[in-house]
Amino acid sequence: MLLCDFHIHTTYSDGSVELRRTIDLFGQAGFDVIAITDHVVNGDNPLGKLAHRFKYSVTADNFSQYISHIKEEAERAQEKYGMLVIPGIEITKNHLTTDNSAHMLIIDIQDFIPACMSYEEIFLEAKKQNALTIACHPHYMSAKGDRDTLFLWNNRDKYARFIDAWEIANRDDVFNVISLKKYPYIANSDFHKPRHLYSWKTLLNCIKDTDSVKQCIRHNKGVALTLFRN
Amino acid sequence: MILFWIFAGITLFGIIGYLFQILAVRSALTNKHYAVTGRPRGITIEKSTHYFEPDAYQPPVSILKPLKGLDDGLFDNLESFCNLDYPDYELIFALQNRNDPAHKVVSKIKDKYPSKDITILVEQCSEGLNPKVNNLIPAYTKAKHDLILISDSNVRVEKDYLTDIAEHMKDPTVGLVSNMIRGVSGRSLGAVMENLHLNTFIVGSVCFLDKYLRIPCVIGKSMLMRKAELEAIGGFRSVKDYLAEDYIIGERIHRLGKRVVLSSHLINNVNEYWGLKRFINRHTRWGKLRWQIGGAKYLSELVGNAVFISFMPLVILPMSEASLLLAATVSSLKICHDIYIGSRLRLRLNPMTYLLSPLKDLIVGCIWFVPILSNTVAWRGNRYVIGTDSALSPMPETGMWIFSHKVFSAIRARFA
Repeated sequence: MLLCDFHIHTTYSDGSVELRRTIDLFGQAGFDVIAITDHVVNGDNPLGKLAHRFKYSVTADNFSQYISHIKEEAERAQEKYGMLVIPGIEITKNHLTTDNSAHMLIIDIQDFIPACMSYEEIFLEAKKQNALTIACHPHYMSAKGDRDTLFLWNNRDKYARFIDAWEIANRDDVFNVISLKKYPYIANSDFHKPRHLYSWKTLLNCIKDTDSVKQCIRHNKGVALTLFRN
Repeated sequence: MILFWIFAGITLFGIIGYLFQILAVRSALTNKHYAVTGRPRGITIEKSTHYFEPDAYQPPVSILKPLKGLDDGLFDNLESFCNLDYPDYELIFALQNRNDPAHKVVSKIKDKYPSKDITILVEQCSEGLNPKVNNLIPAYTKAKHDLILISDSNVRVEKDYLTDIAEHMKDPTVGLVSNMIRGVSGRSLGAVMENLHLNTFIVGSVCFLDKYLRIPCVIGKSMLMRKAELEAIGGFRSVKDYLAEDYIIGERIHRLGKRVVLSSHLINNVNEYWGLKRFINRHTRWGKLRWQIGGAKYLSELVGNAVFISFMPLVILPMSEASLLLAATVSSLKICHDIYIGSRLRLRLNPMTYLLSPLKDLIVGCIWFVPILSNTVAWRGNRYVIGTDSALSPMPETGMWIFSHKVFSAIRARFA
């Protein structure tokens, strides 16, 4: 089984650990597959503008640098740790109310996707790029410091068909509603700080390459959860 | 005022202790290694990629690596042992169970180095109370060579490490070789403090004891010995219920009439992302251990902590310029002391890091009192009572021990 984490932030957005060290941290811990998914924040409201002002977002301007840096590190990770690193982003649509906020991972992204596009446009663009779409922390979270992002769950009837998998567990939270609805699932750390390494993770029973990993998640067979602790 | 001068006098003792530590570290890092190996010490050639000496003493060695959980930089730590410039050695990674996260890391290491003689041994052993020794007991039975090296999972070594320490074993009067350690890679407050403590107090004290008091000082992170001597002292089973198994092994080999040598080859102890709580917990545990082993000698640690003593007048007596001056002067001297020792250890630290040194000493000074009040330790998820010479016994299930433990656990759980 491959030990995987598909939701990792670095200093390209609001993570506290720079990309190279993040790769090393996961490589040193024996991970098989990770996805780097820094925030791409919508800039069309005050919250988003603040995120852009404090450089907590990957933008169209630095996207190519971001991707090439991930690819460069991916080569190093493969050679040194035998770890597969997949580039991704977290589309971050923050609004004043939690009901209107949504975060989604686009994994194996090729070209920049702005977060201010409509949900349908984002999903279609992701499909066009053959990227995975994952709904992040779709239900109520326990951490008081985190804001809930309920939009996709509240509108699941409309959007579920576009979503390849839902986060059934995020860091310390488990969302049992995903299980009850029998949606495809994965579990991630939402890594921002070194201590987040120890959290829920995904185990995949597939070959260690990007296409097999994506297929395994989409078909949701051979997927298991593990609470990674030291 | 008399009290102030008493504290000032004790502080002076501490400062003299700092000076002796500097002299001991200087001496250990300059002369000793030349005398033993006849070539520059390991840290000066750490950039060399290959180091072979045709006439070097290089007997085959079994390296036993007890593993539990993920240490900082575990992959690189273990990989450094696969790249040793040494002709014949085997690596035995010993784990208690397959679900340990370290198992995945060692499997990757084995895959990456198929030509190396690597054994991954997963065997549950609960013979003793010391979990490290429980790992070592089955690993030892698999060791093929006469020389065995016990090496902790949080150390990273240079290519010439094994050649350097094996050289000591050429002398048949040497029974055990241990190494000086330096803390590296600190990236969080707890890790920086841990490394400062290792690089000043631990290194300084070990060198001081070795040079001036001739007390065999063994650091368990690296211990090279012969099977014959280990078996003569009763093997690992004889130390299975001791917290300080390294000290006991060193002490017993010394009593056999063999020399216990401290190699000046520095090995890196990687501490990257420690929290402050972990730093406090570890040094509380180590303090309890030294209190049980050293008894009254433990008092010297408090006297030797000049920073802590120099702050006492500020706490106990009314604020005065003299008290402030004393604390400020001693703190500055300690920072200079630490910078000097750091430079001798070739640490590439941000100089601002040393400003934390007085704060670290104040914390360590407060921790000093804990062992006098409590003799229980929590170690790797287990709780023990620690007795003479660090002998462990299980935490009693009745009486005040368990009552207070339950009360504290309940309070902790309530506020978690």
